[in-house]
Amino acid sequence: MISFENVGMRYGMGGEILTDISFALERRSFHFLVGASGAGKTTLLKLLYLAHRPSRGLVNFFGKDLATLERGALPRIRRRIGVVFQDFRLFEHLTAFENVALPLRLQGAKKAQVADHVEELLSWVGLDDRMHARPATLSGGEKQRVAIARAIINKPDLLVADEPTGNVDAEMSKRLMHLFVSLNKEGTTTVVATHDESLVRSVGAPVLRLEKGHIELQPGGTPVDPGY
Amino acid sequence: MWGRTLQFLPTKSLREGLLPWVIGVMLFLCTLSLTGTLAIGKGLESWSAGLTSNFSVQIVEKNAHERALQTDRALRLLHATPGIASATVLAEAEILALLSPWLGDLPINNDLPIPTLIDVTLTEGARVNTDALAERLRTTAAGAQLDDHQAWMAQILDLAGVVQLLLAGVMVMVVLSTVAIVIFGCRAGLATHQESIEIMHLMGAEDKLISKAFDARYLAHGLKGGLLGVLLAAGVLWLLADLAVKMGQGLISASMPEPSSLLWLALLPLFAALLTMLTARITVRKALLEMM
Repeated sequence: MISFENVGMRYGMGGEILTDISFALERRSFHFLVGASGAGKTTLLKLLYLAHRPSRGLVNFFGKDLATLERGALPRIRRRIGVVFQDFRLFEHLTAFENVALPLRLQGAKKAQVADHVEELLSWVGLDDRMHARPATLSGGEKQRVAIARAIINKPDLLVADEPTGNVDAEMSKRLMHLFVSLNKEGTTTVVATHDESLVRSVGAPVLRLEKGHIELQPGGTPVDPGY
Repeated sequence: MWGRTLQFLPTKSLREGLLPWVIGVMLFLCTLSLTGTLAIGKGLESWSAGLTSNFSVQIVEKNAHERALQTDRALRLLHATPGIASATVLAEAEILALLSPWLGDLPINNDLPIPTLIDVTLTEGARVNTDALAERLRTTAAGAQLDDHQAWMAQILDLAGVVQLLLAGVMVMVVLSTVAIVIFGCRAGLATHQESIEIMHLMGAEDKLISKAFDARYLAHGLKGGLLGVLLAAGVLWLLADLAVKMGQGLISASMPEPSSLLWLALLPLFAALLTMLTARITVRKALLEMM
């Protein structure tokens, strides 16, 4: 579904941050992306959610070669990708409901349809009583769940999450991972970037390990937490 | 032109708070320049219409008896000329009043050889060949000089033309400055909302949809500023018109536009709003093209 072949990435005239990155994400797969700070995780995530084009190499999204895609074709592909940012990046002046509704409204969904879907999803992530709260009044875990709901409201084919458990406590972290695994089981290809090796072991999914700009694929193991 | 709009920007942004005021000041200056240009045009039109419908004939002759004879002959010729409604000899007192700024108050029946002045009024719409008439007057009365004000009127028209050009130049500069200010304001707005725009892009928003959020915002700024500027300018014009009326008939009062002819001022806020919106749209679209 998504493939990277010999991808290299540099900013301006600087050195390569990512070198010869090759991997493929099959439909319905779940991967962790791990690596020390400065290994290039954020840059790889930006390539995965189409914030940047690579400096070299072949990138294929949903059967389309990124190099030949015109700028005008990018929004259509981006709508198939959900992104959860570590720092949430919610619109502070909008309510939880309005934040989550944005992707649907972007696609021109009808008002009633938007209301139904958003209410249902916010209930699913346990925020049915916080729908009309603004982000400033939400806890870290609640903000993260709003961000996740916004990322998955239009049922993306690919979900990319950058340190989704970085700002929440252990209990919330576990709940969020359950959420990601459930989404993956429902058919969403998922990539979760994390520093937390215990989280990786608990799920037992394959790992894309970045080290000094190079990538290595490690097969998944048996989940430590049988709940997954 | 409008299409679907998704307002993802906060309604208030401190960096843009002053923009309507700046647009207002610019439109105030623009309105005054435009009104000034039109007023000069209208004033000259009505003033020159007055001047072309009359002219004067002087009989310059030292000998009073000879001057009186020449005046009679000139009057007969003038009355016989088609297109002339009236030809009246100004009383000595009136001529002395006209000369008083230069010669001071002089008594009537003084010894000064003051020329006779004939005020000639043309029939409405009539045209008289003043060069030919001047020639005929000189033949009839050797001391006759026809003054149809052409020489100095041409200078005044030239001066007025230069002033009109200057005002038009001011107007163009004000409009260009407004465009530049909107571009700066818009860039500041883009910088402020960079992260929101990036998120919208990543969610799959097209450039058109993002720029429409700015369209609506800048349309409102332009409309607010436009209304402010035009209302201020209308107030100033009203005060000037009132002053001109109190000063009586003259070039200034003749130049003041009629209140009904100022209705076009109502269109200026719309013009300002459209100009601001289109400038913002082009600025935002160009900036968005630089993003992936």
